[in-house]
Amino acid sequence: MLYKILVVDDEAPVRDLFDELFRKEDCEPVSCATGEEALKILKKEPFDVVLLDIKLPGMSGLEVLKNIREFDKNLPVVMITGFGFDEDLIAKTKQFGCSGYIGKNMPVAQIITTFKQFVKKAMEKSKTP
Amino acid sequence: MATEKNDILSKLIENAAVMVLYLNHFGNILLCNKKSESVLGLNQSEVIGKHWMGVLFGNMNKIINKNMFKAVVDEAMTYKREKNFACLINQRLISWTINPVLDKNNQVEAVALFGQDITEINERESSIKNIDTSLKDIFSSIKEYALYVINLEGNITYLGMGLEIMLGWNKKDLIFKNAGILHNASAEYPDLEFILKQVHLFGRYETEAELITKTKEVLPVILTVNQFLDGEGKLTGYIFMAKDITERRKLEYQIFQSEKLAALGQLSAGMAHEINNPLFVISGRLEMLKDESFNQKVKDNLALIANQTDRIRELVDRILKFSRKSTPAQEMIDVNKAIEAVLSLIRYNKLPSSRIEIKQIRANNLPKIKGDLHQLQEVFLNILTNAYQSMPEGGVIKIITSNFQDSCVQIQIIDSGVGIPEHHLKNIFMPFFSTKNDGIGLGLSICHNIIKNHNGSIDLVSQVNQGTTFTIKLPFI
Repeated sequence: MLYKILVVDDEAPVRDLFDELFRKEDCEPVSCATGEEALKILKKEPFDVVLLDIKLPGMSGLEVLKNIREFDKNLPVVMITGFGFDEDLIAKTKQFGCSGYIGKNMPVAQIITTFKQFVKKAMEKSKTP
Repeated sequence: MATEKNDILSKLIENAAVMVLYLNHFGNILLCNKKSESVLGLNQSEVIGKHWMGVLFGNMNKIINKNMFKAVVDEAMTYKREKNFACLINQRLISWTINPVLDKNNQVEAVALFGQDITEINERESSIKNIDTSLKDIFSSIKEYALYVINLEGNITYLGMGLEIMLGWNKKDLIFKNAGILHNASAEYPDLEFILKQVHLFGRYETEAELITKTKEVLPVILTVNQFLDGEGKLTGYIFMAKDITERRKLEYQIFQSEKLAALGQLSAGMAHEINNPLFVISGRLEMLKDESFNQKVKDNLALIANQTDRIRELVDRILKFSRKSTPAQEMIDVNKAIEAVLSLIRYNKLPSSRIEIKQIRANNLPKIKGDLHQLQEVFLNILTNAYQSMPEGGVIKIITSNFQDSCVQIQIIDSGVGIPEHHLKNIFMPFFSTKNDGIGLGLSICHNIIKNHNGSIDLVSQVNQGTTFTIKLPFI
């Protein structure tokens, strides 16, 4: 298994797609629909990476990220959004300590490649003292 | 009976509020009343028997007045006509009626002079006259309002300087001409006839309207029209007061535009986001089907679906780009170089074989500006692409850069293409407005947003079959 991934997205078809895509990549995805759920899961079991939608009902993706950083500084978190490449949004997520940013408007193959690159980079970074 | 009447008459004359002098035909004074004594400052005894000229003009120094008065009295004596005349006596202005008195043989026996002291009346009248004159001056000095008066026939009888300044007409162009010459007939605003009807009904009327300048341009104004009543309250015409509201209109239009754009931006961003989610699922599922084995028909159909999905994605990307309010990067940009890069992109990638000539006039030593190179290049690319597309038969594109008033870099992109019809001009920066068959209508609205985010301005003028000129101004740091 390459990575254990927590996929947080409020839309079931999106979660299902990621589930299949990651499984094909030899990863182990677990998914949930809200930020609140995600935080509960993360506190219970360890993950290699979180794929986090920015627009979520209730707690937003940015708030979830902020919360994660309170108990885990190094966990790679990649943000994903339907808003495409919004520079202001990217700047904000970086400020909150995300490891990468992906637009849902990118071709799927590119999304997976980019995602893996972000995770690799984040893991290397957390290993260096 | 006769004595009684004479008594009354002599009392009347004696106490009359007018001067009464009775002269024999030699001009000697036979009788004068109290009023005459008081105005002349003389007693009866100093007056009776004296020649009228000596008495009236003894210390009079206005020779002209004296001689003219003499001529009038002489004329009355000679031609037996009643005459009127006014002259100054002891600083009082006296209006005289001069009556020849005839004997039985119809010969002049004597002359009666009745003099009314009109000093005060005259002062009052002349001060009114002064007010009238200064009011006229005041009206013609008002520059912010175009003031004009028309008579009941609709002809202009007065116009102030404001009208000359605002609309460029001269007094002689308009005076006694019909006011229709000034009023633009458009479906949007009431015409002159309607305005006058309203004034007739309500005494006054205020409306937005359009006036015509001497150069036949249309000027938006707020027009206030009042009845013009004479001293007796009779309607003699109408007073028009127009204030130029061009600036206000511009501002209102800009606010309207930016509110509309902001609302559209929000709406589009929301929509694009909602589309991106299902689109992502569709394209993801398609991607997964790529590895499966299907017959050719299914494969072809899948390819078609993938292709069309890409089209939607591209469209959504454009919409997101338009709606984004990202703050531009702050790099130092040499505008000439930025344009050069865009031109090479167009030359080598986009339209290599077109018969379009590019002429560049570059300002040397143009100060650099601070901004986002990619965004600005997108603007130039967009406008230049439009310019290319507007000249299917070929033509010339001029690109002129200059230093505008030491405050901005000005970039003008001038094509000789098909131009934009006037009725499309006001929508040209609106999102989803396009004159092209295959256009989404976001290019120029994105340009508009980018330039606005750089605190600059973008304007255009265009004439059908002549071409279009885009002018962009980007402020120095």
